[in-house]
Amino acid sequence: MDLEEKTEELLETIWVSIKEQDRDNVQQDEVCTGATEELEKLVTAGYVTVSNGQLSLTPRGEPLARNVIRRHRLAERLLADVLNTGDSIMHEKACKFEHLLDRGLDDSICTLLGHPKICPHGKPIPPGRCCQKQRAPVSSLVSPLSRLNPGQKGKVAYVHAPQIKQLQKLMAMGILPGAPITLIQDFPSYVFQVGQTQFAVDNEIADAIYVRLLQNEETADAEVTSPPPKTVGGRWGWRRK
Amino acid sequence: MSAIRNAPLQYDRHIESALSQIGELLKREYGLSKRTVGLLLLQTDTDIEKLVQKHEAEALPSIRKIVDETRSLYNQPLNYVIAMRRQQEATRLSSIVTTSRGKSGTGFTERLSRITMHPVTGSLILLAVLYLGLYQFVGVFGAGTLVDFFENTVFGQWINPWITGVAIRFVPYQWLRALFVGDYGIITLGLSYAVAIILPIVTTFFIVFSIIEDSGYLPRLSMLIDRIFKTIGLSGRAVIPIVLGLGCDTMATIVTRTQETKRERVITTLLLALAIPCSAQLGVIFAILSDSKLALVIWVLVVMLIMLLVGFLTSRILPGEKATFYMEIPPLRLPKISNVLVKTLTRLQWYLTEVIPFFIIASVMLWLGELTGVFNWIIALLKPVVAFIGLPQEAAQVFLYGFFRRDFGAAGLYDLHNSGAIVGIPLVVAAVTLTLFIPCIAQFMVMLKERGVKTALAIAIFIFPFAFVVGYFLNLVLTTLRVTL
Amino acid sequence: MNMRQTVLGVFGLGKRSGSCCGPATGPTENSLKKIAIVGTPNVGKSVIFNRLTGTYVTVSNYPGTTVDVTRGKSLIAGEKMEVVDTPGMYSLMPITEEERVARLLLFEEKPQAVLHVVDARNLERMLPFTMQLIEAGFPVILDLNMIDEMAAAGIEIDVVKLEKELNVPVVATVATTGKGLNDLRRRLAEYVGHPECTVTI
Repeated sequence: MDLEEKTEELLETIWVSIKEQDRDNVQQDEVCTGATEELEKLVTAGYVTVSNGQLSLTPRGEPLARNVIRRHRLAERLLADVLNTGDSIMHEKACKFEHLLDRGLDDSICTLLGHPKICPHGKPIPPGRCCQKQRAPVSSLVSPLSRLNPGQKGKVAYVHAPQIKQLQKLMAMGILPGAPITLIQDFPSYVFQVGQTQFAVDNEIADAIYVRLLQNEETADAEVTSPPPKTVGGRWGWRRK
Repeated sequence: MSAIRNAPLQYDRHIESALSQIGELLKREYGLSKRTVGLLLLQTDTDIEKLVQKHEAEALPSIRKIVDETRSLYNQPLNYVIAMRRQQEATRLSSIVTTSRGKSGTGFTERLSRITMHPVTGSLILLAVLYLGLYQFVGVFGAGTLVDFFENTVFGQWINPWITGVAIRFVPYQWLRALFVGDYGIITLGLSYAVAIILPIVTTFFIVFSIIEDSGYLPRLSMLIDRIFKTIGLSGRAVIPIVLGLGCDTMATIVTRTQETKRERVITTLLLALAIPCSAQLGVIFAILSDSKLALVIWVLVVMLIMLLVGFLTSRILPGEKATFYMEIPPLRLPKISNVLVKTLTRLQWYLTEVIPFFIIASVMLWLGELTGVFNWIIALLKPVVAFIGLPQEAAQVFLYGFFRRDFGAAGLYDLHNSGAIVGIPLVVAAVTLTLFIPCIAQFMVMLKERGVKTALAIAIFIFPFAFVVGYFLNLVLTTLRVTL
Repeated sequence: MNMRQTVLGVFGLGKRSGSCCGPATGPTENSLKKIAIVGTPNVGKSVIFNRLTGTYVTVSNYPGTTVDVTRGKSLIAGEKMEVVDTPGMYSLMPITEEERVARLLLFEEKPQAVLHVVDARNLERMLPFTMQLIEAGFPVILDLNMIDEMAAAGIEIDVVKLEKELNVPVVATVATTGKGLNDLRRRLAEYVGHPECTVTI
């Protein structure tokens, strides 16, 4: 089942065109002009069928395609959140990266990133097995403060401020690695508590604070089991602890 | 007590060696330890660098070299490395001296605090604060009930008749008598405006402001409004000068100093000068427009729209660093009555010492102006402008007052309304134009001092015609739509 | 520039020579001993100032009201001293103009005591600045303010131990009620009353 990079990409395109537009099949020339060789490979492998110029995914091809997408978007998340890769080269790097996230490695990355629901471009990341059984103890989660859910606790992992002045402000407020931090609210501004003091900051500063989530069994469990959907609308998700 | 000797906090090897090298290069006293000077230099503190440049410039190149070399040894900025070390020590120290029984958990104040910060409940609370605090207390009670009592009863029935009587008995010359008790008399106009109209309104405002301030509500307001303020180039931090501006724009212009970037300071100064009515204006406008709720709504909407629009456009045009927002949110506290009162009194004291001389000078100048005919000449000049925005010619006088102080103009408008000279659409137009109209002399002086001649002049030159253009269009729209107020 | 004006205004051009070790040999008319109050915004500096001087400056429950330096006189242990309230500052590295003003004041006026007021509940977050002040050679007194709120949060601080560790006087106060203020005055008097060098630079 090892597919070449290009073939995998075609499979991705087909899946996106079908699944994300709620269709059963897609016009052949809509997705692959010139990629006939790759298409042939997919058909021979039994992942895709062609009839009357319409492509559709087979029961075997569908989960495989879904998994490729998942790996690609997770790779994007990893590049964006942890490695802080710029948007311009992200896609290209993610394409390379996704192939490395094979055989269960995707679940580890997914867990590490806190089972993200959307990729940096706002597209949904298909959930994997690890997302369903989230009760499994979470090993290590790092996330910018701006992406935590209200009520989540952690310790400041690192501060990544593009400007020295911002860094200075954060340091002045006592936001340094190791400081315990709890997000209280995320709209209209981010409100969080460090020690006994609460601060309100804007998006830009909340993006600069990376938090390693606490591995407290009860709280971590309660939070992770049913995280509110963290989509754009979910910014309103405000809960009391 | 014997001399205290502190073992200095040790940083890591590279920093320590840089510090001792810099320490040897520095020969002069800077009022603080060489170690600190070295640390600040390592953190590229430009002020300290300038100091060294000034006093021992010859040492600077070698110091810069050491700093650069040290910096290259770390991935992170040096101030981060240094701060980390200090924090590490602070954490160690605090852990050996503190014991926490961990009585955390969300108490009542914490729950209340979260309600004030929630986008929905917080907005409702904000509206309630504005309605009860500003409209009901400052507008209806302060500018209505209290002003009525002071103006009509205290001054109208007691002081003015009495002082006029005294003047007639002791001052034989009519022209001199007019200085004190005439139409523009120091007592009958200046003091009576200051004490009867402005004082009650400003007092009620400062009481409300002190309560809001002491309760810790302002930072919560800042965090609620930050997003909106970002569209006009400001951060939530600007809430403080803006809300204070609703009390006195002059005072607020001084407070813009707390803002971080020059850009924010300029925008806030402009908006304060243009669209933020001071409490006297606010109170008077609430009082005279309260007969017609629609008029009030139009006034509020137009002024807010202008503020957002001008702020938005200015933030587009003005170069400079963008505003970022960070603010400590103190716990909600029940304000102490004594503190609120003392604070209100201190503010009033500042305000009155600021305002009364202005009112007296304005009275004298108006009196002089009338005596010499200059006054009529200016009024004649203003009349076409006033007519241009559809106002009766009596309104020209009000704008002339407004030139001296915002509150003076507001008080004039109040008088004019009471005499029935101005009602309906012209009243709203006058209220809007007077709100936007040129910052008063006091505010302008502070603008000059805080922002410099160029900026202050540019703001004034923009506002003057702009206020009248808005007035003109508002009048046009309202009359065309045949709005009945 | 504005900044310059502010600073000049604040200092009235009064540059003082001499180190902290000598007796206050102010060349200007003002030769009173000086106590500077410093600390982050919103920890009760102004209330302490009011308590010490009996004069009133505006105190607020939000950061950023004390833009200017406020000065007052206080009678401490029978000696008249000048108390200076500074704008809030987080560290010796200034971010805003107010902080710059506050720092310059420390550099140039060389107060006989620098009273660092902190929110006792947040000692860990406040200590780095105390350490910076000590490091810079200022005669520091640490004031753990708002110990009532600290107690309400279930926190206790061993003041004696902290004093030993830091090697500077530490006092605990509740400025709003006046608790601990007598102790603070006593410690200030002790500290300032001795002209010998209190810190090594």
